[in-house]
Amino acid sequence: MNTLLRSAFLACVLLPLLAQAHKPSDAYLQLQVQGSHIEQRFDIALRDLERDLALDANDNGQLEWGEVHTRWNDIAQTAQQGLSLTADGQACTPGPLGSPQLDEHSDGRYAVLMRRWACPADIRQLDVGYTLFAQTDPTHRGIAHVQHGAQSDTAVLVPTAASHRFEVAAGDGPPTGFAGFVLEGMHHILIGTDHILFLLALLLPAVLVRTKRNGWQAAPQLRPVLLDVLRVVTAFTVAHSITLALAAFDVVNPPSRWVESIIAASVVLAALNNLYPVICEGRWKLTFVFGLVHGFGFASALKDIGLTKAGLALPLFGFNLGVELGQLAIVAIFFAVVWTLRDTRLYRGAGLRAGSVAITLLALGWLVERAFDIKLPLIS
Amino acid sequence: MRTFLSTLLQSAALGIALCTGCLAAPFVPQSDTEVVERLPQRIGTVEQRRQQREARERLRQQPAQLPLALQLAREALARARQLGDPRELGQAQASLAPWWSLDNPPPAVRLLRATVKQSQHDFTAALSDLNALLQAGSAAPVAVQAQAELTRASVLQVTGRWALATQGCERLAGPRYAALGDAVQLPAQACLAELSSLQGHADQAEQRLRQLAQRSGADNTWLTLVRAELAERRGDDSAQRLYREALQTPTPDVYTLAAYADWLLERGRHAEVITLLAGRDDADALLLRLAIAHQRNHDALADTAAATLAARFDAAALRGDRSHGREQARFELELRGNAAAALTHAQANWAVQKEPADALVLVRAATAAHRPEAAEPVWRLMRESGWQDARLQATPTPARAKS
Repeated sequence: MNTLLRSAFLACVLLPLLAQAHKPSDAYLQLQVQGSHIEQRFDIALRDLERDLALDANDNGQLEWGEVHTRWNDIAQTAQQGLSLTADGQACTPGPLGSPQLDEHSDGRYAVLMRRWACPADIRQLDVGYTLFAQTDPTHRGIAHVQHGAQSDTAVLVPTAASHRFEVAAGDGPPTGFAGFVLEGMHHILIGTDHILFLLALLLPAVLVRTKRNGWQAAPQLRPVLLDVLRVVTAFTVAHSITLALAAFDVVNPPSRWVESIIAASVVLAALNNLYPVICEGRWKLTFVFGLVHGFGFASALKDIGLTKAGLALPLFGFNLGVELGQLAIVAIFFAVVWTLRDTRLYRGAGLRAGSVAITLLALGWLVERAFDIKLPLIS
Repeated sequence: MRTFLSTLLQSAALGIALCTGCLAAPFVPQSDTEVVERLPQRIGTVEQRRQQREARERLRQQPAQLPLALQLAREALARARQLGDPRELGQAQASLAPWWSLDNPPPAVRLLRATVKQSQHDFTAALSDLNALLQAGSAAPVAVQAQAELTRASVLQVTGRWALATQGCERLAGPRYAALGDAVQLPAQACLAELSSLQGHADQAEQRLRQLAQRSGADNTWLTLVRAELAERRGDDSAQRLYREALQTPTPDVYTLAAYADWLLERGRHAEVITLLAGRDDADALLLRLAIAHQRNHDALADTAAATLAARFDAAALRGDRSHGREQARFELELRGNAAAALTHAQANWAVQKEPADALVLVRAATAAHRPEAAEPVWRLMRESGWQDARLQATPTPARAKS
């Protein structure tokens, strides 16, 4: 009794009040919210993992990399049991884990677990359930950074406590609302020089008619011209809508280098057709074929915003609507200008020819850049 | 232009603020044999650690085994004291999980809960548990009560309530606990001696502690430490011998190492500090002393150590841990030369704890910040209690006319 009591006493006699001599156990959780999915980076101290999992197989007081990565499945399981993500009341599912990696923090090395979580729909409220080491170290804390758009929230997560809610409100950063996607679509067509030049190259000769004898002449009547423009624009719209949807839903996913190169080639061909006309009647057919490729180009822009299959229909519609609105605005202004100018010698000569030559040269430059993956000076 | 510039500056500031939580790029070690982490100093043999793990596993499967839970919690607390690793406090808490949140847990659990809270600097919660164990009609066994009384006195002493602490140690030395023998009498007497040393009776206290040391026999490292600290306050050179004696164990604890390192630093013997603390920089308190020693040695390692300390303080702040006041004040004062920040930390720390080391850092920070009046609470306590400290007497005291 006495020895036991004494050792208990020693425990407390003038207890050293040296503040927390070590850094306490923290894990670092970074969650990047993008639409309906979340990129996770979870850093967990090897020292904490060693306590729970006895990683030091040869018990020499050191962890070798072999001792760590051969137990990566156990580490992953510990991490997964300690973390659950719920978006707007519906559970998100963890995707496959990235390869084993480490990082250095102020108190030693941490295992780094990266993965992507998929949630059923665009995330507005994210509940993070955190129970890491709840059984073995209730003083452990998870330092969470949740990034959504340009914003970031920080919270200290307590294991065992109720889940922590992050408001990942719509409207900041990448668009999440319908209007946001419409704007994004308009933005994309307005800054997408290649799409615009393709349309312009097709529309340059729309206000003219070509005869074998006299070459290009001003079109006498508005109605057939408008109908022709309408056919071209509609063909482009229908074609790129089809491929945009196919790519967005991951049905077809052509390599982007091919897509971008063919888009450049389509601009070259459309402009060349003005200089050396091959297809005069039914330009809309040409437009339709190349419009299919442009749709794949739009899709990559949509994916850059961070959208995946789940809950895609509405954003897709919004984005496409934006593209059409932007396109209509460009066509309307351009058409008004060229209709007025169509009867001038300047337009029929310099306007059409010089414009088409310039477009051809620029698009040829793009084609070389994109096909051979090189950077040319003076272009873009 | 101006608005543009200020917007730019604001967004730059925001970028920096956001980046305090940024994570560096992870890496993959070159080979399987590469050492990726040195585990903290470990206690016991391979076999003992295996048994510990088994015991933890048994408890995990059946958590409501009180004797096993108490054993594991005590072991974790002992390691926490030796290594200074707060993770061990978490393990102690984990072992006691089924009882941890009860309003009225079994007395042995309550005692350990108070000890964990005290170690986490949650003095209010610790005192509330200790008071409950000691109140009239408490079901706690007398041995548990004796421990509770001593722990309570320790908390009261640290927080500057010396009269209450003295009453507690007097009760401990009284007839109620006499049957427990020297196991209680020695700490009770040491407690009284130390408290009296702070209240103007340093010389008698020194003699009393020397007698107690003779009586206690071999197992008196803790008493040697108390004597060393008193010798330092008295400006007595025997402090060095006593500190060294207290360090004569296979694994000296963080507190004793830090105390001796401070004694050496006071005397400009920073090279010895570097040798003393080599390989113990995982403990913040020791890393701080090491960084100060390197800096005085004009050694580039000081910058690395200071950066690591800053990162650890940031991490502590992020998790809402404010128990680093004393260390953080010294960090600002001695490593960063930021007297104003040091004073802020020292004042916040003094509001919670009032040990001699806390007084020292407040007085020095106030002096460096040219705000001597900020140290007035220390001078008042010294005047009222009769407490003497050679280190403080070396510090120029401000005019005391105001009082």
